[in-house]
Amino acid sequence: MLSRLRDLARTTTGADRVLLVSLLALSIYGLFFVQSVMPKGTDVVIEVDGKKTHRLPLGQDRVITVHGREGRTVVEIKGGRVRVTESACPNRICIKQGWIDRGAIVCLPNRVVVSVRNESGGESELDAVSR
Amino acid sequence: MQSRDNLRIALLSAYAIAIHGFEKLIPTPLPWLRFGLANIITLSALMLYGFRAGMTITVIRVVAGSFITGTFLGPAFILSFGAGVVSTSAMALAVRFMRNVFSAVGISLIGAVSHNLTQLLLAYFIFIKRIEVVIILSPVIILVGTVTGTVNGMVTAMLVRGIRNYARGTEEFPAGTASRQTADDRDCR
Repeated sequence: MLSRLRDLARTTTGADRVLLVSLLALSIYGLFFVQSVMPKGTDVVIEVDGKKTHRLPLGQDRVITVHGREGRTVVEIKGGRVRVTESACPNRICIKQGWIDRGAIVCLPNRVVVSVRNESGGESELDAVSR
Repeated sequence: MQSRDNLRIALLSAYAIAIHGFEKLIPTPLPWLRFGLANIITLSALMLYGFRAGMTITVIRVVAGSFITGTFLGPAFILSFGAGVVSTSAMALAVRFMRNVFSAVGISLIGAVSHNLTQLLLAYFIFIKRIEVVIILSPVIILVGTVTGTVNGMVTAMLVRGIRNYARGTEEFPAGTASRQTADDRDCR
């Protein structure tokens, strides 16, 4: 089996490896830096299953509990930032994402989206472009 | 030759549907995360029998698969149909014009990433409608596609080589030639 894999590795071309490495680099870079390109917002919007359930100012400290598909998600707003502290989802990516003051935390299993938006009309510039 | 081709397409489509259905039983951390193992069949067909076979298998797999899962013409069907057609076309172009540049692994990567990105874009137009969500998800989706695409490409390379060896009746196929298939490979189907 191992020698077969080694054989196989020899049949891959340089272009294969360049493609693989650049895709890995692009996605890992994206994972870390995608938040920073988001516009800074003033309001926290919580959506469950595509429906807007809460809209709260980012400047006011609060803890909100919402119920998604898998169970409850606890969202904490404190000191102009927001995070997910508890979630019923299996992978906990939303909790690991930590505090944000722009962009969004998306919990796919529980269908909860916590996003930070601008107060003017509610939507960020990116949203306006997408319409 | 026509009927032999149709036989092959029918058999490979059946494999693809079975793999596709079986794959749904494997638990994954995210509900939409799947390995795309059926792509092994599509890519092998593209490399061995050409564009027509690969595309027919993809369309049959998506349509017949949706009959089984009961999602025919639903949103999930549109996502997998669009992504299947786009990724098969992308891989077919790569097989046709970049055979000397990429091996099965590279072509599988092209297929996986184009599949995932098409699906994300279609999802954006059909239900998400929020560009931030797309921007945040795209690195994750490219990463998943890269990993699954590499694994599928390796399996495809082994499968294609095995079938070619079998067809030739030879035991050994010199290492390193799998990426340099020439016209005679396509002729000896």
